[in-house]
Amino acid sequence: MAQAPEEKPEKNSRGTIEWFAENGIFVFTAVLILAAAIFVNGFASLQNITDVFHRAAPIGIVAVGMTFVVISGNYLDLSVVAQVATAAVIMIAVSNEYGYFAAVLAAMLAAIIYAVVNGVAVGYFKANAVIVTLSTTYIGLGLLRLLSGGSIFFGPPDGALAQFGAGKLGPIPYSALVLVLMTVILAFVLNRTNFGFTVRSFGVNERATRLGGTNTGLVIIGAFLVTSLSAMIAGFVLAAFSNTAVSAMSTGYDFQALAAIIVGGTSVFGGKGSVLRTLLGVIFVSVLSNVLVLLNIGFGYQQMALGALIALAVAVDALARRAGKK
Amino acid sequence: MSQQESIQLGGSDKSLWGQIKLTIARRTEGRGIALLAIILAIAAFTEPLVFTAYQITLGRIALIGLVALGLTAVILMGQLDLSVASTLAASGVVLASIPDLTLGIIAALATGLLVGAINAFGVAIIGINSFIWTLGMLFFLRGVALVLSDETPVKLTNADAGIAFGQPLIGPLTPRILIFVLVFILIQMFVSRVKMGREFYAVGGNPQAAKDAGIPVKRRIFTGFMISGFVSALAGVINTLERTAADPIAGSTVLLASFAAAIIGGNYLKGGRGSIVGTLIGAAALGVLQVTLTISGVQVPVQQIFIGLVLLIAVTTDPNNLRAVLSSIRSARSSRVKVQEPASEPNKSTAS
Repeated sequence: MAQAPEEKPEKNSRGTIEWFAENGIFVFTAVLILAAAIFVNGFASLQNITDVFHRAAPIGIVAVGMTFVVISGNYLDLSVVAQVATAAVIMIAVSNEYGYFAAVLAAMLAAIIYAVVNGVAVGYFKANAVIVTLSTTYIGLGLLRLLSGGSIFFGPPDGALAQFGAGKLGPIPYSALVLVLMTVILAFVLNRTNFGFTVRSFGVNERATRLGGTNTGLVIIGAFLVTSLSAMIAGFVLAAFSNTAVSAMSTGYDFQALAAIIVGGTSVFGGKGSVLRTLLGVIFVSVLSNVLVLLNIGFGYQQMALGALIALAVAVDALARRAGKK
Repeated sequence: MSQQESIQLGGSDKSLWGQIKLTIARRTEGRGIALLAIILAIAAFTEPLVFTAYQITLGRIALIGLVALGLTAVILMGQLDLSVASTLAASGVVLASIPDLTLGIIAALATGLLVGAINAFGVAIIGINSFIWTLGMLFFLRGVALVLSDETPVKLTNADAGIAFGQPLIGPLTPRILIFVLVFILIQMFVSRVKMGREFYAVGGNPQAAKDAGIPVKRRIFTGFMISGFVSALAGVINTLERTAADPIAGSTVLLASFAAAIIGGNYLKGGRGSIVGTLIGAAALGVLQVTLTISGVQVPVQQIFIGLVLLIAVTTDPNNLRAVLSSIRSARSSRVKVQEPASEPNKSTAS
């Protein structure tokens, strides 16, 4: 009942651009990794691959969570920037004083507050998600800067958090394992549970979902809660990796997560997409930024590349959608 | 009898009170005026300096408002332009990196027009959601600004011209304020008196109907985004001249403030309803708020929280949104009464 019906109309007239939008990312990721391994010096080293994993993990965890908001047809959650930083600062600042349990509880409370404010404004007040999450970003970062005094928090160098952050299973850091675990759990939630089904059906047709007797406001809050809890875990992972936390540490996460989601093939129009695709998008975006860094390409060019990548991905999605309508 | 008649006629009531009611129902600036009145009252009691130092207050309003004016043209058509902040930064860098001042200003403004055209191309021709497309442009242009400036603020070659630009021109009014007033008058005339501008409302209200009525919807979208791009570039030029340097990451607070100004001013985000006057009122409210907070010595993070809160309240209390909330509550209640049994059954079977 709750299983996803894979909507694949048996038509032979599906255009190349549609095929491209569906499967292009597999080809691109494979080509990129191959090309990087062959042409880019230092890419295929063990040290570098561990590094890619380290950087991909927090962004990836944010992205797989935010996939829920995007699939529900609400564009994105910009406030993940504030949420990741909040979780990281709480994790280190609170655990230094009161221990890890209290830190997790406090961070969870913050995540729930974010999800409820965003979800109520978007789900019940029908406000635009971009504007709502833009304002909660500023409110959240403002509060964080005010409460933390803008200072940097350091964890004890031999604490459990630092050990987790430095821990590795072979070449794979624990943080990447958390990403894989989150992907599996969230893929299960999205594909196999009643909640996941409702999120997707909401993205396809909001009105029909509401008329079908679903409390759509609660579904939206749920989608934002998944995003907030993921952002919280990403904040923990980020705090563990550097063993420090500061309010500006997650700048750009909103955009990189969105890039990963869209490049993975999740549609910004809602309804279409998957968590596994987002993971693929994360790999693509992370490898791409790693290659740009290895090639000594400046930060400005990296931003341009990422912006162009998003533009290209949404353009392909929009064209495929139009081709599908015809 | 006569009482009944007037009730029946409702909207076409000719009495003065009826006219006033009709005007109020038609206008969209209500919330903006209320907020402005509250903020002015608070400012008058706590920091009268806001009014005596009106030059600073006006300058702040012009700073927030200019980008918001261009943005309003886009919002009236039901689109968003998130790229305004980076357009401002990029055009500033363009101006500062060209030695000749006149040439630099022309190039900077052309940058704005180009960005507007690219935005409109994605929205109107490819058919991408404007929130996402302009968000992509926001980051792309930030990259452009960083690359052009080598990631450091660029000094204006002709610093004297910049310093002169910051001086009052007519009475106590600086060129920034005068340009703001001029742009306000131009865009206000454009959307209320010119046919092309009035068509913006039609495009925002119902694009399909506008198309059927013979309005070139795609061309209007180009016009709107190019107005927004041009005005953001103009703001970038003004900022760069006044500060005699261009900051490649400028404008992140402008993004929030300009959206807040347009939305508080009653511009409906789905398009078709709103006004340039509303945006001016919204910008005035925010400008006074910011100056009051600054003069009171409030820390920057607190100011950020205040403006974020104002934006959050503004976007959730849009009359159309409130109506949606009320109707959804009402329909939820009525559907629960009517179809109690069948509605609860599928829930049970799916909840596993």
